[in-house]
Amino acid sequence: MEAIGIRIGETRIAANSALTEVRPVRFVLIAGTVLSLGLFLVLPLVVVFVEAFKKGVEFYFAAISEPDAAAAIRLTLLAAGIAVPLNLIFGVAAAWAISKFRFSGKNLLVTLIDLPFSISPVISGLIYVLLFGLQGWLGPWLAAHDIKIIFAVPGIVLATIFVTFPFVARELIPIMQSQGSEEEEAARVLGASGWQTFRRVTLPNIKWGLLYGVILCNARAMGEFGAVSVVSGHIRGMTNTIPLHAEILYNEYNSAGAFAMASILTVLTVITLVVKTLIERKSEIRGGRGADAVSATE
Amino acid sequence: MGFTLLYLSLIVLIPLGAAFLKTFTMTWSQFWGTVTGPRALASYRLSLGASLIGAAINTVMGLMVAWVLVRYTFPGKRILDALVDLPFALPTAVAGITLTAMFAPNGWVGRSLEPLGIKVAFTELGVVVALTFIGLPFVVRTVEPILQDLDPEIEEAAATLGATRWQSWRRVIFPELMPGLLTGFALAFARAVGEYGSVVFISGNMPMRTEITPFLIVTKLAQFDYAGATALAVAMLVMSFVLLLFINLLQWWSQSRYA
Amino acid sequence: MSIEIRNIRKQFGDFAALKDVSFKVETGELVALLGPSGSGKTTLLRIIAGIEAPDGDDGAILIHSEDATAINFRDRRVGFVFQHYALFRHMTIFENVAFGLRVRPRRLRPSETTIRAKVKELLKLVQLDWLGDHYPSQLSGGQRQRIALARALAVEPSVLLLDEPFGSLDAKVRKELRRWLRRFHDELKITSVFVTHDQEEALEVADRVVLMNEGRVEQMGTPDEVYHHPANAFVYNFLGNVNLFHSRVEEGKVYLGDMPFDLPSEAADDAKTALVFVRPHLLEIELQPNGSDHFRAKVEHINAAGPVVKVDLITDWGDPVHVELPHERYRALGLKRDDGVFVIPKERKVFTDHSKPIQN
Repeated sequence: MEAIGIRIGETRIAANSALTEVRPVRFVLIAGTVLSLGLFLVLPLVVVFVEAFKKGVEFYFAAISEPDAAAAIRLTLLAAGIAVPLNLIFGVAAAWAISKFRFSGKNLLVTLIDLPFSISPVISGLIYVLLFGLQGWLGPWLAAHDIKIIFAVPGIVLATIFVTFPFVARELIPIMQSQGSEEEEAARVLGASGWQTFRRVTLPNIKWGLLYGVILCNARAMGEFGAVSVVSGHIRGMTNTIPLHAEILYNEYNSAGAFAMASILTVLTVITLVVKTLIERKSEIRGGRGADAVSATE
Repeated sequence: MGFTLLYLSLIVLIPLGAAFLKTFTMTWSQFWGTVTGPRALASYRLSLGASLIGAAINTVMGLMVAWVLVRYTFPGKRILDALVDLPFALPTAVAGITLTAMFAPNGWVGRSLEPLGIKVAFTELGVVVALTFIGLPFVVRTVEPILQDLDPEIEEAAATLGATRWQSWRRVIFPELMPGLLTGFALAFARAVGEYGSVVFISGNMPMRTEITPFLIVTKLAQFDYAGATALAVAMLVMSFVLLLFINLLQWWSQSRYA
Repeated sequence: MSIEIRNIRKQFGDFAALKDVSFKVETGELVALLGPSGSGKTTLLRIIAGIEAPDGDDGAILIHSEDATAINFRDRRVGFVFQHYALFRHMTIFENVAFGLRVRPRRLRPSETTIRAKVKELLKLVQLDWLGDHYPSQLSGGQRQRIALARALAVEPSVLLLDEPFGSLDAKVRKELRRWLRRFHDELKITSVFVTHDQEEALEVADRVVLMNEGRVEQMGTPDEVYHHPANAFVYNFLGNVNLFHSRVEEGKVYLGDMPFDLPSEAADDAKTALVFVRPHLLEIELQPNGSDHFRAKVEHINAAGPVVKVDLITDWGDPVHVELPHERYRALGLKRDDGVFVIPKERKVFTDHSKPIQN
């Protein structure tokens, strides 16, 4: 067989080395990947910002500061501001219980935590409407006491809490499970109280996972659409979050305005991705994933 | 997540839905009528069909992407790798209007496709595109760690035994990836079936044609037809349950065969 | 099929794994590449197999006098047995062994019946013919190793390469398999090279041993040759148990503590220090000096559970000494802990060449 050497660095590999794909195949695969990811990932990011600034910078800032938009931003911040801290506490508590203790029904708890994550956001919203809506289970009682939940701010906050509660727990459970409970047991034996153990031993170990969970939770809380759309009354200036307001603007053919609102959330998304990458780098440095094997075949 | 939905549907959701239905005293025939109405049927076809197609596309595309990201280096790889999580982190409504802006007839990509006679926005194809978008991270992130942990020695063994690269890939590497691919497929599918925000902008929501089931549920709610909405939700959960059960069986089969 | 290794060099970034290695393996020989971790032996094996390529243009591997470096795997016909077996876990044992035959190009591929017969024959050869339908996960380490060997042999290689074949096994299984491999090789007579860091294994199994250290060949010879006539300090220290003393040289004599000993004639004239090696079984213990060159030591620890009695002592200048005595001698001396005795080296090797650092 005629050998056609391929130079890679200073080494020489016989053709048909059979240890890696031949050049043309590699080229096609890389090109295919760059094109698909470029189309699906890079382009959308570009589109958001270009469309947002289509009518100029002044229009952009006017769009995000006009009263209904400002109200939407405030409501979004309110909902996230309540949902994230609550879910943070719940998430840590649940992850703590699941990873450090044995109890029956653990599997059920873990599965229930995943509930909002697994079902369509529309169905999440539907459950709230069926519970608190006028025709719902608690409807008559709420109406009698003049409490509005559905089609009002409380409903939006509740729905937001519901759809985001898995995030912190899901991030922490695998981390805490893999760390085991030895360190905490050692602390207890040395005389630390439950709270001290948590603050000085548990917390430092989970801080990166916790950070990422909180960021994801917040991103979802601020960006939730389906569930919130169902329970909101879409009342301008009152029961619209940023995504809902963007929808309204879009349906009114105010594309630039809609994208202006969307751009706020997109910046948040980019921050989320950056934080994730940084956290992964950190765990890699600590010896997470091993270095690539030295190989002459790449 | 697929397994979770399975379990939850059985234990929590379907009984919950039944309980709600009882509240509205819907008779069986009323339930059946709502759930099998022509508009509902069309929406199932679209929701389930487009989700399956989207997940299938993601399985192939995701495999390629995971392979390239793990095995090769090229400028910009790190950024692209970080971006893979974008569809997961991006709010669905933002995805929705952005995809529409991209694929509308005069959109960024749409305007090149129009002259070729390919319409994406406001058609079933648009729904598939949106569902492919949101499922992208699931296959890639499931396959990547498997590829990273793959023992290079088995590839070397296959090569020393005389296998060509293609033979190595087909007989030795692919079987190792198969379970991961199925899991990724299940995850992408489960997510796609319930997806709302990313789809309702690009689909156009035309009844009988481009209306997905979640949208139909929302419509019924807007008409205060709580019973109808609940009936459809229950139907959707049952269908997802059956499909995911099937996928889980496939996963179990592939685990026993390939692992 | 002889293997000739000519001027092989290999660099990984800053690390030089192989620094110009050359030697020849004769047809039908079983050769061991022996050395500590990082000596380059596995890298060399992989280059012979073709999994890695040597650096530069002047290095070559000649199999049966033909340049193999530019030939692909299929035509090179080298069998490789990996340290961790690398069995295909989703295939049965049968399918694993049949693999090499099934991936042959169509025109060279034997019929399914032929393949089945061949696999059966190989499984019988490694004495595991009842395991055909099992999966690798159901086998023990030793069984997996033999299957890996059967798989490599299925394609009738002209050369067989084994990377630390018994590295991952228990001591007892290792010993059994060692003997088995030797008998196996005697039957099949395929030119074979195996890598090991276990000097006992190399000396017991191989026809010839190649000692490698830091990318270079230190010595090549039969086990007898390298053990009794080591070429340098590294080889001496690496093979077998040995006591090592860092000594000073004065006026033509080397000093162990205060006792002068003769220097060998090959010693460098201007050496100020020397390394003195003595094997534990070549040291005698006496309760009184008897005229031969000796040094004083105190008994620290005695281990009489074994074929010889192992005595650990501390010399009067503070170095540890390890001596092996036959049981009768030990009983005759009546040694106890803290006894002061006289140690007589019956045979010693002195090296004044310090260019190569010793790894203990």
